[in-house]
Amino acid sequence: MGEPLLEIRNISKTFPGVRALDDVSFSLSRGEILALVGENGAGKSTLLAIIGGSLVPDSGSVVVEGVRRSEYTPRRALADGVVIAYQEPAIVGQLTVGQNLLIGRSAARRRASTVEVRETLSNLARMGFPLDAHTPASTLSPAQRQALAIARVFALGAKIVALDEPTTSLAEQNVAAVLNGVRELSHEREVGIIYVSHKMHEVMEVSDSVVVLRDGMVRFSSPTNETSTDEIVRNMVGRQLLEFRRTHPVASNAAIFFTVTDVTHPSGVGPASISVRAGEVLGIAGLVGSGRTEFLRAIVKADAGSTGSVTIDGRRVPIRSPRDARDAGIAFIPEERKRQGLILQMPAYANVTITAGREFAQFGPFLNPSRQIAATEEVGAQLSLRPTNVRLAAHQFSGGNQQKLVIAKWIRRDARVYLFDEPTKGVDVAGKAEIYSLIDALAAAGHAIVVVSSDLPEIIALSDRALVMRNGRFLSEHVGNDINEHSLVASAMGISKGMP
Amino acid sequence: MSNNSRSPLNFQAIGIFIAAAVIFLIFGLLKPIFLTPGNLSQVAVSACVNAIIGLGLTFVIITGGIDLSVGSIASFVGIVSAASMVHGGVSPYLALALGIGLGLIAGAFNGVLITLLRLPPFIATLGTMSAYQGCAYVVTGGLPVYNVPQQFVGILNGYAGQIPIIVLIVIIVGVGSWLLLRRTVFGQNVIATGGSEETAWLSGIRVNRVKIAVYALSGGLAGLAGLVVVARISAAQSDAGSPYLLTALAAAVIGGANLMGGEGRIGGTLVGALILGALTNGMVLLNVSSFYEMIVTGVVVIIAVALGQGSKGWFAHKRTARGAAVPQGAPSDTDTVKR
Repeated sequence: MGEPLLEIRNISKTFPGVRALDDVSFSLSRGEILALVGENGAGKSTLLAIIGGSLVPDSGSVVVEGVRRSEYTPRRALADGVVIAYQEPAIVGQLTVGQNLLIGRSAARRRASTVEVRETLSNLARMGFPLDAHTPASTLSPAQRQALAIARVFALGAKIVALDEPTTSLAEQNVAAVLNGVRELSHEREVGIIYVSHKMHEVMEVSDSVVVLRDGMVRFSSPTNETSTDEIVRNMVGRQLLEFRRTHPVASNAAIFFTVTDVTHPSGVGPASISVRAGEVLGIAGLVGSGRTEFLRAIVKADAGSTGSVTIDGRRVPIRSPRDARDAGIAFIPEERKRQGLILQMPAYANVTITAGREFAQFGPFLNPSRQIAATEEVGAQLSLRPTNVRLAAHQFSGGNQQKLVIAKWIRRDARVYLFDEPTKGVDVAGKAEIYSLIDALAAAGHAIVVVSSDLPEIIALSDRALVMRNGRFLSEHVGNDINEHSLVASAMGISKGMP
Repeated sequence: MSNNSRSPLNFQAIGIFIAAAVIFLIFGLLKPIFLTPGNLSQVAVSACVNAIIGLGLTFVIITGGIDLSVGSIASFVGIVSAASMVHGGVSPYLALALGIGLGLIAGAFNGVLITLLRLPPFIATLGTMSAYQGCAYVVTGGLPVYNVPQQFVGILNGYAGQIPIIVLIVIIVGVGSWLLLRRTVFGQNVIATGGSEETAWLSGIRVNRVKIAVYALSGGLAGLAGLVVVARISAAQSDAGSPYLLTALAAAVIGGANLMGGEGRIGGTLVGALILGALTNGMVLLNVSSFYEMIVTGVVVIIAVALGQGSKGWFAHKRTARGAAVPQGAPSDTDTVKR
């Protein structure tokens, strides 16, 4: 075999405020399947983007078949024989299966390409998905699309293939067939595969070697048959903790304040129920895609077709829209701050008073901006908003202060229930600490708090109690010392005891 | 800090005034008669129809929508009101109210199509543009209505002292629009809906109601404009309103309305209409053929919008375009959209 197929040499990459990759090195041989694992944010996506040529590393290099890559463009990566198959298969629904396989091929190469199409279809059949070239791609199931995308990668004559969570949309019975197909194809054609997955049993089953990333560094690497699930998970967790302790953990005798029952979301999440005590912070962990965001959105009925009932302080409150939720005192602080939480070009005070309805109207319908400004300055001072000038447009505030603006919309209205979705996403460490204190203060004031987060240390630092969601259901409840990374990760990946 | 932050807005708002001043000055230098009070009043009058329709469109554009049916609504309202007076003996004031009411209803119907049937605004109003135009033909079988009562003409095309009444109406509608947009809860909801519909919805704003109201407003103002057109020629034609769609849209766009939503200025639209009026008037004075006038108008629209983009930061745009390539593949796994 001699030289390795792909070598990652000392790659580092920094984004503003984050060291995404720190001196990462490993190598991949022909016909090898290398599992790349790590928590959300460990740096896997950044690494794939560099290998795929859509990001340039700050230092270090990608070496393909002994040749050091000179420029980082997707075109160059393709020429190197590198293909990355992302979670969302790039399939054009309007075309047939055959046409999808021919995308990007010139007419002159069509004849050769049709041979490839035939081959791809036979590969597909081997993976347990017999498909006809004339089938419209729009009629394919998510599993068939995923399989088609994988099969196409091999047809492209790739030498190095990165599969980013290729089995997320596959049902259990199809996973084995697809994995078998992947393994056979890679061994047969001596293709090197980087296999990114959160599913430990797949990693153990399909891969030849494992590389664990944590905080942008390679924490562990080993041939798969010389390690165990437990050892891998142990190396994945333990990211640096932000020093934070709640000042007022929930009192053990606090009464249930907020209950949601049998919530379902049209995307297939639920039915799921939670109850939160006054002054309690309930953390919800789970993998990206497990349905946590949808669960919160369904509580406030943000999307048509959501169901479920809500009780606050012993009283049933009918909620048909986010407006009803607002009026019932429920604050939903969404994940996508810039798109769902703020109107960036509007001044801060207009953003904060957007939930006020007619509260600031005078002389009939007329608004008095100076009253809106005064009210915003008051709540801003309470949250130590910086800058203090609330006439500035929302986009002129930093990530942490933007988040404060979103929270201020609800604190000013005296909301009693706060649903946070990734409250510190894109917020720097200082801002994080401030938002944690804010959440702590809201809980201390006797409000019911729910925090959805992919950042496990965040869940651990904030929660009185934590739930883990997987496939739209809550699987396990963790209290006290059981709120630790190991047990949360184990549960989220479905490897805890007693799980199917 | 505060002045700093507002300067881009002010620059653009001032930019349009500077552009208008330059255009007026050029015509004034080439044809001194252009700047006489009598002629300037003519310019103002000729800008009025575009101004009225443009103000309604400004609201629609701020919500991120478009209303292609305004010209047809103006035609429809004009012919219905004229026919009701001439053939039905309806009093001029009642005809006026009827016309504006018809415009409101036609506009609200657009809003219903867009919100309840979830049609894209372009498609919904493309459909009603044709449908309302058809209605305008059906009313009189395509025949014009002549001899509109002088009292009606006097209401909309008369003078209050030295000032044309229609100019006063535009001033009132303009001030009212500014107050509505900048100083009411409704206006703030309009801006919020256009800025981010999702944010507005999650904050408890009834987004659908806001949109229906905005299209109703656009229809009502288009109706008023249709009545003005009738009064100015003392007759109604089934397609009298159609030319105003594109010019009123141009006025709003020259004035800084952003077709992507969230942005638009009442004062800008008014000045935009004035610029278009000045171009028409000035080139008639210069004996330029109306064919060339169309070319110049088109060029002015393009230049105005290009300048507007420039002051919003051409380089800033380039920067975000380049920056956008980074997050795609990059920062962290948490950036993937959760499902």
